Amino acid sequence: MRTSLTDTEQIEAHLLQQTSPGDTLVFEARLLLDDELADKLHWQKATYNMVKLYGRKQLKKEIEAVHQTLFNTHKHKSFSEKIKSIFMRG
Amino acid sequence: MADINISVDTPEAREKLFIALYKSAFPAVARYVSKMGGAFDEAKDIFQDALVIYYEKAAAGAIKLNTNEKAYLLGISKHLWLRRFKENTLQASLDGVELPDETSEENYSESRLMRFLETSGAKCMQLLRSFYYDQLPLTEAAKLFGFSGVRSATVQKYKCLEKVRETIKQKSLTYEDFLN
Repeated sequence: MRTSLTDTEQIEAHLLQQTSPGDTLVFEARLLLDDELADKLHWQKATYNMVKLYGRKQLKKEIEAVHQTLFNTHKHKSFSEKIKSIFMRG
Repeated sequence: MADINISVDTPEAREKLFIALYKSAFPAVARYVSKMGGAFDEAKDIFQDALVIYYEKAAAGAIKLNTNEKAYLLGISKHLWLRRFKENTLQASLDGVELPDETSEENYSESRLMRFLETSGAKCMQLLRSFYYDQLPLTEAAKLFGFSGVRSATVQKYKCLEKVRETIKQKSLTYEDFLN
């Protein structure tokens, strides 16, 4: 478990470019020799991408909820009317 | 508003932030879109995309939250409007703003995988979102998720990374057109 976490940590440092030039060389040499490590790197890259899409999707949901609050609750009536009037004139 | 880096580490804090941004910046965006012949729903779509861009820039430390947010959001919204409706005539990009990549979200296998992660992997996904998307400092993330300290938050982060990485790998074997 320890070694696996260390690998994950090193892959992250490599992908996020937080390593020194020396460490980068060592890591790249390991990548050439260790198929399992290269495989992990490939899927870890995909994981960061999915986390970003997930985060963006969740954030959009939060923003949409705010929109519904602003345009469908009595508390914010004057604001929603102000906005709606902008589109009535055109 | 004071020029401070306000913390938006909880859903409640983000809700407050987005309400404030809507109130300060949406009227100007709505007036612009209306003037250009657009409708309410178009103004809404564009403004919400602008909020996402603004949030991501702020999370990455590229801009400070509350730093002239009204002008910034209006600028991005105008850019999005022009890109959306006058794509052929506009080529200039706005300060290298990276726009949300819609195409990657339309990939069928990716959205199946996303649904899977949202349901069975929600806990880890929420944790990873805080680290990599919201880019919370370790100390804040540890507090938010109830970890005893930075070290245990870090260990949990890597455990979640491994778990999700394994899930994505396994699922990619079933969802064959994913990531080819």
